[in-house]
Amino acid sequence: MMAGAEYDVIVVGAGFGGPVAARECAQAGLSTLLLERASTPGQKVISSCTIPFYGFLFGPEWIRNGEPPIERPISGIRNIFIRDGKTYRVDNSFRVPAPLGPRIAIGYTVYCRPFCTWLAERAVEAGAELRTSTAAVDVIKEGGAVRGVITDGGEELRCRILIDAEGVQNLVATRAGIRKPYRPEVIELCLLYDFEMGKEDIDRVCGYNLEYFWAMPEEGMIAPLGRGSAVYIFPYRESIHMTIGQFLKADDGEVLNVKLLDRYYEKFFQTDRWRDLYEPRVKLRARIWDTCPIYAGLYPDQRNMPTFGEGILLLGDAAGLEAAAIADGVPTAWFSAQIAAQTAIESLRAGDTSASFLSRYDRRLREHPLITALISDPHRRDLAQAAKSGDEAEMRRRVNRGWGIRLMGHLAPPVMRAVYREIRRDARVVKSWLDMFNRYWRLYA
Amino acid sequence: MGHPYSFEEIPGVTWIPVPEPFISVDASRCTGCGDCVRVCLGDVFRLRNEKAEVASLDRCMECAACLFICEAGAIHFSWPARGSGYRSEWG
Ligand SMILES: Cc1cc2nc3c(=O)[nH]c(=O)nc-3n(C[C@H](O)[C@H](O)[C@H](O)COP(=O)(O)OP(=O)(O)OC[C@H]3O[C@@H](n4cnc5c(N)ncnc54)[C@H](O)[C@@H]3O)c2cc1C
Ligand code: SF4
Ligand code: SF4
Repeated sequence: MMAGAEYDVIVVGAGFGGPVAARECAQAGLSTLLLERASTPGQKVISSCTIPFYGFLFGPEWIRNGEPPIERPISGIRNIFIRDGKTYRVDNSFRVPAPLGPRIAIGYTVYCRPFCTWLAERAVEAGAELRTSTAAVDVIKEGGAVRGVITDGGEELRCRILIDAEGVQNLVATRAGIRKPYRPEVIELCLLYDFEMGKEDIDRVCGYNLEYFWAMPEEGMIAPLGRGSAVYIFPYRESIHMTIGQFLKADDGEVLNVKLLDRYYEKFFQTDRWRDLYEPRVKLRARIWDTCPIYAGLYPDQRNMPTFGEGILLLGDAAGLEAAAIADGVPTAWFSAQIAAQTAIESLRAGDTSASFLSRYDRRLREHPLITALISDPHRRDLAQAAKSGDEAEMRRRVNRGWGIRLMGHLAPPVMRAVYREIRRDARVVKSWLDMFNRYWRLYA
Repeated sequence: MGHPYSFEEIPGVTWIPVPEPFISVDASRCTGCGDCVRVCLGDVFRLRNEKAEVASLDRCMECAACLFICEAGAIHFSWPARGSGYRSEWG
């Protein structure tokens, strides 16, 4: 083993959460190392990514006030229902009405590599050291406490606190002995396509909407409802992203054959909307896949796995903070990264990195107005009931509740609580929120 | 390290050849259930004599579905050394 440098904090993973934690720690004057196994940050993060507005509003203000590489503002969700391969109904009840939308957006689509690279650059500006092409393959433990990592090059890197931001695979936390790999019931495997498409065509076909395609199971177009995603199409600047996902295992114990994803795509490519509107205008650019711990918050044993230990804090996907209903993990990765950094700073100032000191991290996660609400919402899973009942109207009702206007029923209360909390802290934040919407609109235009 | 390689049926992705295997099957634990074959979109596993084995890691996207599905704990999953493995600009 080669002995390497020693740091106050090592952050493992430069995806969406890691750079945020690294920046806050470096800004507070802590010597901070950010480790990334890919050759550039975000290169191995796979998402059809729309970052919802609340990630920007309640996440770090330097992201909100900066100019991150966004692709396109999104102002609504269009739920498209398919029967016999044809669109028979569209629910677009959830949208910001013109003229506010799309300037006031419900989210922004982004590519992971440029966005995470931008975040990591901000961490480096604040004084963090970034090392790419370096994986942490094991942890250094002393008397039960984590004291650093061992890299794939065999180097020992020591630290007083390790922040684990390595995403879903969670190898460091399992090596540290504080977590077990996720159960297959909570993991969705997503197969994603990226297509080039001209801006004018995108404007005409999807505008500023996300498109979700829904069908009953006999359509063979998506994983049996509740066992996977809808088909998502996300518009970007001059491309579209498209995803279908399926869980690895159903609640009843059946292992689901994810190779069916290819067959769902075949069926989807025969639907009228795809054939008539998209297919003539697109060119395939990429096909990639990744897992997502999207139900981790719905199963008590998974949700209650530790998020901290002696000398270690876990954030984002590594801590199971994916939003169960709407599939976003970026906002919760940002929120948890800030809380982790704040906890690490306090712990180093107090000279106490024990698990009992760090337990305040977990408490703060649970007290966050949005995190618990987002990870514990069962709408997507509940769609299985519609499939079992064979009732299409029931499916549409459930889709409306999860992705239509009735989404507000469960999203609005925690968002309003977060708004209230921020305004009480400093009312000037409202101006900075509005400035952000304007700035991002200009960035796009 | 050799040159990166790509596959026609998986566009937008290049792979850096890996110096050593990073996924393996512990035959003494494997029950031959075939679940790893069922979940791997990269056709990495095959069954032989009622045990799973790694046929080729060439198309592995490092998604870890195999690690999650194997409840016998027979799959050893790690990272390819020196930040290699797949690369894509389009995730
Ligand atoms: C198909 C798909 C679609 C999604 N869509 C959305 C969406 O629309 N909106 C949304 O908000 N979220 C979405 N998500 C979820 C979102 O991508 C994740 O929640 C988010 O990336 C989690 O951030 P993180 O920082 O915890 O982990 P990640 O962003 O996954 O970052 C982990 C980083 O750690 C690195 N790493 C891992 N292990 C090591 C190691 N041992 N040593 C060094 N480096 C390591 C990885 O290379 C990676 O860069 C989607 C996910 C998927 C799979
Ligand atoms: S999933 Fe595990 S037990 Fe089943 S065949 Fe694969 S390696 Fe063997
Ligand atoms: S990590 Fe994913 S792609 Fe690689 S072998 Fe496992 S299931 Fe297959």
